[in-house]
Amino acid sequence: MVVLAASVISKSGKALVSRQFVDMSRIRIEGLLAAFPKLVGTGRQHTYVETENVRYVYQPIESLYLLLVTNKQSNILEDLETLRLLSKLVPEYSPSLEEEGICKAAFELIFSFDEVISLGHRENVSVVQVKQYCEMDSHEERLHRLVMQSKINETKDIMKRKASEIDKSKIDRTRSEKGGYMSLQMTGSGRIESSFSEMSISSSSSGFGSGLGSEVETFSSKSKGRPSASATAPPKGLGMKLGKTQRTNQFLESLKAEGEVILEDVQPTAGQARAAAPPPTDPITLTVEEKLNVTLKRDGGLSNFDVQGTLLLQILNQEDAFIQVQIETGENAGVVFKTHPNINKDLFSSENILGLKDPNRPFPTGQAGDAAGVGLLRWRMQSVDESVVPLTINCWPSISGSETYVSIEYESSSMFDLQNVVISVPLPALREAPTVRQIDGEWRYDSRSSTLEWSILLIDGSNRSGSMEFVVPPADTSVFFPISVRFTATKTFSDLKIVNILPLRGGPSPKFSQRTQLIAENYQVV
Amino acid sequence: MEKSSTLLIHFDKGTPALANEIKEALEGNDVPFKIEAMKKAIMLLLNGETLPQLFITIVRYVLPSEDHTIQKLLLLYLEIIDKTDSRGKVLPEMILICQNLRNNLQHPNEYIRGVTLRFLCRLNETEIIEPLIPSVLANLEHRHPFIRRNAILAVMSIYKLPQGDQLLVDAPEMIEKVLSSEQDPSAKRNAFLMLFTCAQDRAVNYLLTHVESIPEWGELLQMVVLELIRKVCRTNRGEKGKYIKIIISLLNAPSSAVIYECAGTLVSLSSAPTAIRAAANTYCQLLLSQSDNNVKLILLDRLNELKSSHREIMVDMIMDVLRALSSPNLDIRRKTLDIALELITPRNIDEVVLTLKKEVVKTQSTELEKNGEYRQMLVQAIHTCAIKFPEVASTVVHLLMDFLGDSNVASAIDVVVFVREIIETNPKLRVSIITRLLDTFYQIRAARVCSCALWIIAEYCLSLSEVESGIATIKQCLGDLPFYTVSEEGDALDAPKRSQQVNSITVSSRRPAVLADGTYATQSAASETALSTPTLVQGSLASPGNLRSLILTGEFFLGAVIACSLTKLVLRLEEVQPSHVEVNKATSQALLIMVSMLQLGQSSVLPHPIDNDSYDRIVLCIRLLCNTGDEIRTIWLQSCRQSFVKMLADKQFRETEEIKAKAQISHAQPDDLIDFYHLKSRKGMSQLELEDEVQDDLKRATGEFTKDSDDANKLNRILQLTGFSDPVYAEAYVTVHHYDIVLDVTVINRTKETLQNLCLELATMGDLKLVERPQNYTLAPESSKQIRANIKVSSTETGVIFGNIVYETSNVLERTVVVLNDIHIDIMDYISPATCADVAFRTMWAEFEWENKVAVNTVINDEKEFLDHIIRSTNMKCLTAPSALDGECGFLAANLYAKSVFGEDALVNISVEKQTDGKLSGYIRIRSKTQGIALSLGDKITLKQKGGS
Repeated sequence: MVVLAASVISKSGKALVSRQFVDMSRIRIEGLLAAFPKLVGTGRQHTYVETENVRYVYQPIESLYLLLVTNKQSNILEDLETLRLLSKLVPEYSPSLEEEGICKAAFELIFSFDEVISLGHRENVSVVQVKQYCEMDSHEERLHRLVMQSKINETKDIMKRKASEIDKSKIDRTRSEKGGYMSLQMTGSGRIESSFSEMSISSSSSGFGSGLGSEVETFSSKSKGRPSASATAPPKGLGMKLGKTQRTNQFLESLKAEGEVILEDVQPTAGQARAAAPPPTDPITLTVEEKLNVTLKRDGGLSNFDVQGTLLLQILNQEDAFIQVQIETGENAGVVFKTHPNINKDLFSSENILGLKDPNRPFPTGQAGDAAGVGLLRWRMQSVDESVVPLTINCWPSISGSETYVSIEYESSSMFDLQNVVISVPLPALREAPTVRQIDGEWRYDSRSSTLEWSILLIDGSNRSGSMEFVVPPADTSVFFPISVRFTATKTFSDLKIVNILPLRGGPSPKFSQRTQLIAENYQVV
Repeated sequence: MEKSSTLLIHFDKGTPALANEIKEALEGNDVPFKIEAMKKAIMLLLNGETLPQLFITIVRYVLPSEDHTIQKLLLLYLEIIDKTDSRGKVLPEMILICQNLRNNLQHPNEYIRGVTLRFLCRLNETEIIEPLIPSVLANLEHRHPFIRRNAILAVMSIYKLPQGDQLLVDAPEMIEKVLSSEQDPSAKRNAFLMLFTCAQDRAVNYLLTHVESIPEWGELLQMVVLELIRKVCRTNRGEKGKYIKIIISLLNAPSSAVIYECAGTLVSLSSAPTAIRAAANTYCQLLLSQSDNNVKLILLDRLNELKSSHREIMVDMIMDVLRALSSPNLDIRRKTLDIALELITPRNIDEVVLTLKKEVVKTQSTELEKNGEYRQMLVQAIHTCAIKFPEVASTVVHLLMDFLGDSNVASAIDVVVFVREIIETNPKLRVSIITRLLDTFYQIRAARVCSCALWIIAEYCLSLSEVESGIATIKQCLGDLPFYTVSEEGDALDAPKRSQQVNSITVSSRRPAVLADGTYATQSAASETALSTPTLVQGSLASPGNLRSLILTGEFFLGAVIACSLTKLVLRLEEVQPSHVEVNKATSQALLIMVSMLQLGQSSVLPHPIDNDSYDRIVLCIRLLCNTGDEIRTIWLQSCRQSFVKMLADKQFRETEEIKAKAQISHAQPDDLIDFYHLKSRKGMSQLELEDEVQDDLKRATGEFTKDSDDANKLNRILQLTGFSDPVYAEAYVTVHHYDIVLDVTVINRTKETLQNLCLELATMGDLKLVERPQNYTLAPESSKQIRANIKVSSTETGVIFGNIVYETSNVLERTVVVLNDIHIDIMDYISPATCADVAFRTMWAEFEWENKVAVNTVINDEKEFLDHIIRSTNMKCLTAPSALDGECGFLAANLYAKSVFGEDALVNISVEKQTDGKLSGYIRIRSKTQGIALSLGDKITLKQKGGS
């Protein structure tokens, strides 16, 4: 299955253009091409010639031959296909089909031959594609140039302004020697400068700043009531960020207007989310986290439902470590709790208090950077009851004519308010994004992995169910599965709550913060 | 290994571009000019110039260019320049291009990235590639499939380099990962291909884990899968069970290319009857479904291969194969018939013949231009069937006899020859054939068919009624006698005039024709070849008798045949007719006919008088009829038949001999070594021996595969180029390959001085071309140097290479020139013995334009010995059967045939006669399509024919 060479030769055997796709010596290829016209008989109705070692498949083009040299075991059907394509390409690139014309267009022909055959193997391309490849008109390059140009312009602007500032400051200096509002001027210029640096940052980091809002924190009433310095710290940063994201958004919008696909909604995975969470500033942080592994069947029914929860305790300072935690669990009977081996089991089963077996030992403490803290309690819940599923997906692909219509609807149970729901539907490999007819929420097409992502920021009482419909070229219905879903929620299955922190060494009960979240770790419709 | 060439572009020497101009244009800023200059530079490079000074210019002024075309041309330029020095080390300046390549690999334009990656596939220098590897790998993940596709190929090529596995240790893993997530079919194929060539185990693993989804894969990928299966199974026969299922599932693939490949794979994998049958079935289906002639022919080739290896299975497929006859293409039909004829068995013969008969009838009903030829093929096929299985003859012979009057002479001749053979071998059919033949005789139009039919009539009319009706038929066809009388002048003048008109056409194309025994006979081309229409027209116009019209066109050879046939019939009549009156009446009528023919022959009505040969024969017949004798009677009535029987027997014998010879060739000698693949020691074997047939196929195609010839022969070919006392001694060893001549020239400096800029300048005469000009060398005192020069040959012709050695010495400024001996290229290296059918030989003989006639001038006294000598010295094959050359008769004629490697035909006819003084005289005629062969072969023969030693 190897094409040795693709050539255009004259009837007398003069090789006008030849592109070899495997290593062969020049004398060999010239010999093969020179021998060819003698082998071609006239009046034959087939267009291939076999010699002892090679096969020529050819096609006369006016006074020339377009010729493929292949080995004898080569697949003739493939080679004819290649030849057919090449014979369409030659007139595209060579205006006149005579020796002279071909010689003029020799390089263009070689470029186009290269697109059709790679290392002797046929590529699955059409004439249009080859032309497109040869034109090398790249959108990305244009964009890149645009960005470069704007950067250059910006820098030039800055340069100009700087120059004028320097000029001004020179003048000022000379003036300040005489009189003096120099300080005023200095602060003004400083502000301008800082805003410039911000500009440049925002333009270079296009996909920035989306992971921050995703983490949901519920501060306990106590900590809310007592706004501390540390609690107010984040809003400060937020003010800055707001301005920045706005500018980023503008840039993104302009990019979008130019037709660029921007991954706006970068979904954090569970791990990233935790990493992105702001470091706890409270002396004691308790995290309740449940991970959801659910596999739904595409025609209804539940094949797997599994919730794994943990309670994590993080204490910043050694002094605060001598405590016990009073919790309250929900009525969910399916939840089975397991404590850490060092926890006093009796105390937990009788009073729902988590404390160490040895009351003289403190809980381990960790610094803010340390990810999660210490696990105190684990629980697990499994179910076959469909009603516990927080979100059901119903996908209906139907083929009509030359198109496949896919309608998807979701329905969420009233138990949870889901946040950042992303439903990813795999699609057959498409060249263009599918046509979305109707949608509740946002959609995005990822051409790399060829999936359609349907994102709904929040599902609460107002939109317990929703639907989307899109159209793709005909495809097997099984292509659209497995659909995977990601979301988070602030309510958990166990409904575990921290009631109080009991200090063992007396004193007021220390302030603590509590986070609760439910993450869909592996939520699929197969 | 010689440097490989990746592209050729025709370069017109008329407009030489100067390196300086190119340089200026490259340094400028104008993009179109730059492009033109790059193109010119590339063409100059391809033309053998080296342009070393241009490289730096290009690095400085072309590398930074933003234009895409320039970048692409730059890649082509880099592809063809020498990147290594004479010792194979990478030139230091090449590092300059690395940065540019890396930039290109990170270029925002996906196409620039793609073409750069593709360029890397052709790059062999690890030093240049090494710094680029991270960028290549980064491209594996690119969003655009065009880039991924090429990146994978680049990884593959890099990995395949000599130290590639060290450069890219984990390439297979990476590619496997890519493969699992890849969506683009082409990229997927490339990834699989990479695994296939570099890490076969992984490829097999991937294949086996995805067995279920294989039928849904793209066509391209499926092809590679099949290739992989073939390769794996060749090295590991035991595992083929795993793959058969995959192949079977792919047999139902939508793409016909895949199906074709599947069938091929099945055949190579298994020799189980089911597998072969499945493959053969597939081929037959494709044969019907594909409309392209090329495909059909190649499919027939495949079937033919199957036939020779698995005949017993193919026998069952014969009817499917025969369906290909529905194609209107003659080549396809011929191939189909060839295959079918070798598959006939007693069981299927009836069916086959039935089909063939149907086809014959079809050719009657529809009138297409090629029908005549096709009918001829069918007739020959039926003929073969009938010889193999005589019982079918009865069913076809009558049908075929309808075609005796066919306007296609060749097919009519085939029919009549067939009838002649059947009537001898099948005595039961004699009566019916004769009756039929006498009934249809009047339809026969061609002289040659007529004479053969007359012979049959004369030979096989045995009973009284048959003999009588035989004579009557001939008489009827001759029409009223005499052919020409003075009183009928007005009428007769009319007829000759008409015939003259015809003859005026035929005379122009009149040329000497070779008879089967190699002698010349004067015949008009019109009646000989398919141009029988004029005779036909005349026959229908002039008179009812076909024989009469033929004779009136001057066919006196036919006249002689008529005379002989009549004589024979009359002699037989004497035996079977009790009434002497009737016999005498018939004798006198026969005599009258003969005399009239003689009279016509000698009259001035026809442009050509009767030839001596025919005249003699007719006169002989007259004499015989006048006084018969027993001796003559036995000769005429029995010996003729006996010699015919002998001829048939001889033919049969020769055929069986041939089959036997063929059978012997295909089998191994009893003392041949048997290679057990698994026991073979891998040590000391060349890579080529280890590799499998597919790679062999590819290697042969790319010309890497050349057999080592005898070293002893090598020494015969050493030519001394300069004298021993010249300052430079040179000798050359000439190797002739198919399309090229390699001169290995050894140059020795015989002086005590250093020779500088020593150059071997070669020039050629004839159809030879120097491929590359040799470089300049510096030769130390008394040292030697091997210089190699390649010369391209494009046709069979004696060529001469001449040249000189030019050098400078340090103290003399002038260049010194030593003229070399001429090197003559021998035509014998290019022609090889070949065979062709008698008919083909004659058509070529008639067609070819160039004839070289060499008078025999030799010291050899024996004809046979002379022929052998010529055959030996010209390396040709004698087409004339040995039996025809038997015996001593003082003269000999034979046809020789050979083919050149370029596919040209060389025809030679030798006609010699022994003179009374014991010397041989005669002519050797050489004919060919091109002047070159005729001349060179003539020279060769003139040179060699003297013989003696």
